[in-house]
Amino acid sequence: MSDMRDEMLRTLDRIVEDTATTALREAADEKASGGGGAKGDATAALWAALEEAGITAIGGGGEDDVSFADAMELVRRAGYHALPVPLAETIIARRMLARARITAPEGAITLAVPGAGELPREGGGMLTGVIQSVPYGRAAAHAVVATEGKLHLVAIHDAMMTRGTNMAGEPRDVIDLSRAKVLASAASPTAIADLEAEGALVRAVALSGALSACLDHCLTWVGDRVQFGKPIGKHQAVQHLLAQLAEETAAAGAAADLAIEAAMVGPRRFEVAIAKARAGEAAGKAANIAHATFGAMGFTREHILHYTTRRLWAWRNEFGSEVYWQAEIGRIAARGGARKLWPLLTGELERD
Amino acid sequence: MPQFSFEPVVMPPEALKLRQEVRAFLADEIQKGSFTPAVGSMVEGDEAFSQKIGAKGWLGMTWPKQYGGGERSSLERYVVVEELLAAGAPSLCHWIAERQSGPQILRHGSERAKTTILPEIAAGRCYFAIGMSEPDTGSDLASVKSRAVKTDGGWRITGRKVWTSFAHRAHYVIALVRTSGTPDQRHYGLSQFIVDMKTPGITVRPIYNLYGGHDFNEVTFDDVLVPDDMIVGGEGRGWEMVVGELAFERSGPDRFMSSYPLLAEAVDEMGPDPERMQAAELGRAVAHLATLRRMSASIAGMLNDGKSPVTEAALVKDLGTTLEQEIPEIVRRILPVEPRGVGSDNGYVDLQQLAQMQCVSYSIRGGTREILRGMIARGLGLR
Ligand SMILES: Cc1cc2nc3c(=O)[nH]c(=O)nc-3n(C[C@H](O)[C@H](O)[C@H](O)COP(=O)(O)OP(=O)(O)OC[C@H]3O[C@@H](n4cnc5c(N)ncnc54)[C@H](O)[C@@H]3O)c2cc1C
Repeated sequence: MSDMRDEMLRTLDRIVEDTATTALREAADEKASGGGGAKGDATAALWAALEEAGITAIGGGGEDDVSFADAMELVRRAGYHALPVPLAETIIARRMLARARITAPEGAITLAVPGAGELPREGGGMLTGVIQSVPYGRAAAHAVVATEGKLHLVAIHDAMMTRGTNMAGEPRDVIDLSRAKVLASAASPTAIADLEAEGALVRAVALSGALSACLDHCLTWVGDRVQFGKPIGKHQAVQHLLAQLAEETAAAGAAADLAIEAAMVGPRRFEVAIAKARAGEAAGKAANIAHATFGAMGFTREHILHYTTRRLWAWRNEFGSEVYWQAEIGRIAARGGARKLWPLLTGELERD
Repeated sequence: MPQFSFEPVVMPPEALKLRQEVRAFLADEIQKGSFTPAVGSMVEGDEAFSQKIGAKGWLGMTWPKQYGGGERSSLERYVVVEELLAAGAPSLCHWIAERQSGPQILRHGSERAKTTILPEIAAGRCYFAIGMSEPDTGSDLASVKSRAVKTDGGWRITGRKVWTSFAHRAHYVIALVRTSGTPDQRHYGLSQFIVDMKTPGITVRPIYNLYGGHDFNEVTFDDVLVPDDMIVGGEGRGWEMVVGELAFERSGPDRFMSSYPLLAEAVDEMGPDPERMQAAELGRAVAHLATLRRMSASIAGMLNDGKSPVTEAALVKDLGTTLEQEIPEIVRRILPVEPRGVGSDNGYVDLQQLAQMQCVSYSIRGGTREILRGMIARGLGLR
């Protein structure tokens, strides 16, 4: 592990400790009973602290930038902390823009991936179309948008927007591109697929962080909570639940690593598919185990567990749920047939 | 908080080259008809095949040359093991000896044990069985009742072992027995002996498994003489030895690849153009396999660095055997069988049925699922 990575992660931990209070999380949460996110700038202080630490400006691969692997560790740690800011989106957007040789603007950048049947069209320097579920659309001034064969950097601050949220109360807005200004475009034959895969990659990595958090929450809880005269962690049934949670956490971590590593060297969609499918499956199991472990307390608004478990449920759906990526992997495997299945697994076939 | 880490490993170029070599060799063997790919290589054994592999230098690869080894890395060995399993090659004969007994002898055996036995294992000519379980001793290994008493120049073993895989064809069994103390003294006073199966006083009786196969046995020891230098690791260190070998026994691709040949076969039965849910079932299995491969290779890397990742190995085994057991179910979800289902003329159905019957044992042999989860919980600090 690099020193730079260590230092960056420590900085993030410190900012989280100082700034990401439960009050802030609650205010940021659009699903809060008090209508939370109405206070739109709830997370401004958090974002500002991250910005000041230089953490929001990484990913572009510039000379003094951290490595891609380090950037992904930051995404993982942000997932661990369930941070209510578009950090993962910004980091991966900067990377995509850098590869398309488009200069990235400052501030938060989000990803706008068109759904099936709603491909935005391009004409006369303008885009038309509506994109659902844009992460933190309202908070980001810019978005990376894909159309057939092209990647665009778009200013979205005055785009028409309908507010929405995911299960975790994170902003997921509907954006009408017709009033958004295209700042730069670059040809890219696989723009749409790439944007989707990059999104899936950061969600898989963030899921792996959130799973670690889930395990930590559970380990603390089973040491504290006493029933039948001993900490519940001393009951074998509970121990076995946590053993399975540790297994799923380790598997999701390994799957995410596999995709990160592949993304550093070349074609990566297949590995992203594996990571998102495996981490997504782990997420569902982990949330169930965590809630079983916490009993009624974990079902309350008051307890912080839901900041993590609702993200597990939300993130496993975003940028392609398990069945989406599994089917893609399966179709590739089926096309190759039995004899090519093993070379596919050992990474010796062209897959994209 | 304690969490388990599976640091990425980089496969060295020689391992990648070796993979192609092994794969080409196996393809050639299949072509020549020297074997037919089977599920669970752990059930097919062919001495001639093991010797061919040995002659290639693919057994005992990590051991010193002085003992017949190749002084290559654990990662190269990993690649060979994986290719054998993927091809469904008949590797049972050398499997236990090469995976577990050899490394054990190399680390803790006497010089005579090392010089006489290891080169033979590496040549694919010498096979081992593991004598741990007894009629009243399963998961609770420390409760073994078989005993050895000291005599002039050696020990005399009396007792009964069960479920001893491959004992009927093995040249040696490594037996865990009590050399001092009583069963309620638990881990204290246990020792491991390398017992030559030709020694007078040993009786091997088959125990047929549920589908009529002969894999495991009952082995009785009636005052069986074992020379002093065939004790492993010294008197009273048996428990330590058992725990130490588990990282080797539990983390390898044989703990998630057993049902692989069935999955591959199902791909062809399904054809190139699956429906979404068929594709998803297959894709899920592939995602699990890819992840397990990475975790298992990471453990090979740790072993290479001289570490003993026993808990990580338990974790990989539990995840791995869960998948192995699921594969016969997954292919049932992908493909209808009767009536007028698939594969009635090409052996697919037989393969599925065999895998189905075998796979229940995967989460029992080598430590049950519950015992593994207990170890993981201990690693998490809960016990
Ligand atoms: C195919 C096969 C090959 C084998 N080959 C060998 C071999 O070569 N050499 C050898 O020595 N042995 C061998 N074994 C034996 C194997 O190691 C044992 O079966 C295994 O250790 C479990 O012991 P048991 O069968 O007596 O089950 P038991 O220990 O009686 O367990 C039965 C059930 O109780 C559960 N249980 C037991 N204790 C606990 C506990 N503390 N907490 C929670 N649950 C518990 C178990 O998990 C299991 O579900 C083989 C077994 C099989 C199936």
